[in-house]
Amino acid sequence: MSGPLVVVDALARSFAGVPAVREVSFTVGAGEIHALCGHNGAGKSTVVRMLSGQLAPDAGRIVLDGEAADLRSRQVAQRLGVALVDQELSVVPALTVLENMTLGDIDAPLVTRRRAAVRRCRELLDEMGLDRLRPGQLVATLSMGERQLVEIAKALSQRARVVILDEPTATLSEAESRRVFAAVRRVAARGCAVIFVSHRLPEVLELCDTVTVLRDGRRVVTAPAADLTVDRLIVHMLGETPHRLETSRRPDPDLTHALRIEHLRVPGRLADFTLTARAGRIYALAGQLGSGASDVLRALAGLHARATGSVQLRDRAVAFRSPVGAARAGIAFVSNDRKGEGLFLDKPVAGNLVATRLDRLGRGPLVAAGRERRTARSLAELAGLPPDRLADPVLTLSGGNQQKVFVGRSLGRPDVHVLLLDEPTRGVDIGGRAAIHRLLRDAAEAGLVVVFASTELEELLELGDVILTMRDGRVVDTYPGGADGAVLMRDMTEGKDAA
Amino acid sequence: MRAAIRQERLVPAAALLLVVVAFVLTPLGTGSPLTTFDVYNALQGFAQIGLLALAVGLTMIAGEFDLSVVGTYAVGGMIAVQAGQSSAVLGLLVAVAVGAAVGAVQGALIAWLRVPSVPVTLAAYIALLGLAYAISGGLSVTFTNRDATLWVDQTVAGVFSPRSLLTLAAFVLVAVVLGGTRLGAELRAIGGDRRASRVAGVRVERKLVLLFTTSGTLAALGGALLSFSFASANPDPGLRPLLIAAVAALLGGASLAGGRGTATGLLAGALSVALLAQIVAVAYLPDYSTQLFYAALLAVVVAIDSPGLRRALERVRARTRPVEA
Amino acid sequence: MMSLLTAPPAAAVRARRARPGRLAVALAVLVVVLLPVAVTTERFLTLGNARAILASAALVGITAIGATLVMIAGSAVSMAASQTATVVAMVFLATLDRGLTVATLLALLTGVVVTAVQGLAVGYWEANPIVLTIAAGFAIGGGAIWFSGGTPVSAAAGGYEILNATPLGLPLAVYVLLVLAVLAEWILRRTTAGRQLYLVGENRAAARAAGLPVGRVTVVAWAFFGLCLAVTGVFLASFNTSATTNLAGTLTLDAIAAVLVGGTAIAGGKGSALRTLGGALLISVISDVLLLRGYETGVQILVKGLLVLAVVVLVHLRGRR
Repeated sequence: MSGPLVVVDALARSFAGVPAVREVSFTVGAGEIHALCGHNGAGKSTVVRMLSGQLAPDAGRIVLDGEAADLRSRQVAQRLGVALVDQELSVVPALTVLENMTLGDIDAPLVTRRRAAVRRCRELLDEMGLDRLRPGQLVATLSMGERQLVEIAKALSQRARVVILDEPTATLSEAESRRVFAAVRRVAARGCAVIFVSHRLPEVLELCDTVTVLRDGRRVVTAPAADLTVDRLIVHMLGETPHRLETSRRPDPDLTHALRIEHLRVPGRLADFTLTARAGRIYALAGQLGSGASDVLRALAGLHARATGSVQLRDRAVAFRSPVGAARAGIAFVSNDRKGEGLFLDKPVAGNLVATRLDRLGRGPLVAAGRERRTARSLAELAGLPPDRLADPVLTLSGGNQQKVFVGRSLGRPDVHVLLLDEPTRGVDIGGRAAIHRLLRDAAEAGLVVVFASTELEELLELGDVILTMRDGRVVDTYPGGADGAVLMRDMTEGKDAA
Repeated sequence: MRAAIRQERLVPAAALLLVVVAFVLTPLGTGSPLTTFDVYNALQGFAQIGLLALAVGLTMIAGEFDLSVVGTYAVGGMIAVQAGQSSAVLGLLVAVAVGAAVGAVQGALIAWLRVPSVPVTLAAYIALLGLAYAISGGLSVTFTNRDATLWVDQTVAGVFSPRSLLTLAAFVLVAVVLGGTRLGAELRAIGGDRRASRVAGVRVERKLVLLFTTSGTLAALGGALLSFSFASANPDPGLRPLLIAAVAALLGGASLAGGRGTATGLLAGALSVALLAQIVAVAYLPDYSTQLFYAALLAVVVAIDSPGLRRALERVRARTRPVEA
Repeated sequence: MMSLLTAPPAAAVRARRARPGRLAVALAVLVVVLLPVAVTTERFLTLGNARAILASAALVGITAIGATLVMIAGSAVSMAASQTATVVAMVFLATLDRGLTVATLLALLTGVVVTAVQGLAVGYWEANPIVLTIAAGFAIGGGAIWFSGGTPVSAAAGGYEILNATPLGLPLAVYVLLVLAVLAEWILRRTTAGRQLYLVGENRAAARAAGLPVGRVTVVAWAFFGLCLAVTGVFLASFNTSATTNLAGTLTLDAIAAVLVGGTAIAGGKGSALRTLGGALLISVISDVLLLRGYETGVQILVKGLLVLAVVVLVHLRGRR
């Protein structure tokens, strides 16, 4: 055994000229659990994707066990012994636990030796503390947490030298997280190098040997976990407190213009949520994946058929269990999945801008072409889109401009009173981000209720007039705009009781 | 979610049980007892659609839909008759080889160019229909090899015939291959979540080509056996065989959404459909009642598989639940 | 994520747009190949032949226009077209004794209601359209035999002959085809429902999340399809003067073939009624040329299948991203 198992040497990568990772270096030894920390946009995912063969670095190199590794694809990385547990699951719900364990495993025999496979699967499940699961059980019947554990068990079962876990515990309960930790420790004890990415700082300090903090694509510090505390980690991650986009206007005192949400619940996702959101204010829901922040918005937009509670807007009850009902009440929703659930990518920019208001652009069932053109043009101007691109398919725009189209299509409508945004600037560059924040501020000042959910601390601080921190389907606390970032982050990652 | 496991086994089991019970009870309505000949006839019906149902069902498990099987069925029957006038085995082999080739070409288009399977197989169906017409001049072709005709339909053990036994053997073979190798899991993975199967390292494209080659082979075999039995080949069987095969596959627990279904389920589905037709024949029910039965059974399958309907029910349940939990 | 971050630079996109599409090239090649073959074919360039081409495209064309809307609304094809047209024909013939107008209206109503109900299940329940229409086909076909008693339904009275009129030498159905094609195109381009149809078809999840009336729009498309099927059925009835259960023959797949040759993608969100008209005519022209050159039916059908296959692959490659 000589030298570290993994050497990351001056790795760099940019997207469309914007650097996401700048000369990041660190090493991980055999048996070491190494944490990568940093808030969203710091470059963690990019590093992970380069290490797992999903993305080629622009510069720098990765050395595995003393040999420079060319990780051209997932398959190559797998063959070199790099296992990845991704945020996006690769377990197939239509298969049983056992079938998932061996799916795509190059070493699995073509003819299943069932008894041996069941025994091996049983061992792996027991190791993960999943003794309740049967190998023959369909993954579709498991909870999200259990699926995640199966995914981890699968990655650990392949003869890997390096195991990367990208936010493996984000959607897990406390007890489920414990089982993951135990399994990760066992894997490290076998001599693997483990790279662990997580937002939950206390668990990082508890589990990991070494911590590397990234900020703005740069490595800020690498230190033994024993030398760090949650507070010091937060200071490293935050850097400077971002500048807040202030509003000069006072909130609309007329409560009839407010969105009143009482005891909103979504079984299994949102425990209880109550909020009176006034017109002219921006409300920020601060929470990590699985905190329920996103579910508040989806329930209000009519996308959770099982939601219960009461929602009132302009003194009218909102029929919030169907998207058509929510839209009719004046609620517009900007999903975090722009591609799958947002834009009509093959359609031109103009068509997307007017997509949700076609019924208001003419007389009766007809669409007036002239009015449509004028509306599209004025919306493009409002959203800051280049007017010469109106006829191009949205697909050909940059992420930032796509998002402007997405937000812009809900602006300038007298019948829209509430704007909901889930991760309003996901996949958007710095310039586009500032423009979108400006748009949202303008929308609020024009008298809209704006509610957004975000995992990005800067965004929450820049934009939120009222910030609600959320965790495990509940609101942790409510803060005025300009709150202390460290406090918010502690709420989001630990909740109140741990503090 | 939990419905997913149950459905895969429950639907075929329930369908088969229902039909078997009805079959056993038919003497109560007709007054005359069932004979082994009735069972033989039901199995002959099974032989007629079984291989087609297996072919369509397998593509459904992988989330595809092969409409062309009924074209391959017609072409297979036609080629088997024309090439098999002297030697039936030779005819059968030529038909199966052509079926495999036709399937492989379609599979290649679907797998590597990623064209959706419905339009490709629909176009292939039309082309194959034209081919069957062109080979035969648009007329039924008589099969003069009487020995082969007598052989495929002779009774074996009272209720079977070589034709129904061959069909059963195909089901058993597929069941063993899917159950005993990793192919079965991979097929369902491809149908259930293609992205995840790629991430997990399944070679999706090769499997799809193999799949369509198999469905072409099975369909051609089915068509060949049928024309041997009828002692003639029909260039245009119409869409009906395909639709009945689809009913059998759906009752067998497969779904067009993919990721679901087993060979034994498909067997149960095909047997159900065949028995249903035999019940209608034995009980002297009007012919159209088979169609109405199919429609009713499919309506249940459609209702179970409609996400919008499920959401509507959840919405009603959420609305009627007391606000304070 | 990748594709969002690495959208092609604008200049490259514009350059790509300036080049003629692969489909256009393919069509040009087709015309270049087809034209000399066609014009050198004896009797191709005659008025009588042009009429024959139009007439043979009429009935499949009318159904295909309706099927276009359903396909634009999102990967939906109907496997029940033949049966629906047959039942409509039966209703029309059986009620002719109440007068042509009443019979026609009843027939159209039958087609619209029977098909719109399927649209309801597809739009609101998200039922799988193929499975649903296979079930509907069995129900309608079985029901038709039940009510007709399995015997051909013949006209209860005269008066339908006017539908077989041939003003200016062309069957009435050809004019109806043209009117319906223009009407469908107008609905698609100018009405709110038509425009929303493209959105629903391209990305159903996005349309739903945006609060668009996905269910209603889908029902509108299917109802129009029902209307087209009913018109086909009425013409079939008046041509044949009696209706058997397999009156409509291979209408189901012929209509889908015409839609596909018109370049409408099965994935939905794209397509046009006028292009479907072109598809139906192209199939008709090619069959006509082959017929005049003495090829038998089998070759005509074979070529049609290969044409559909070629267009499907081309449209797919062009639309891929």
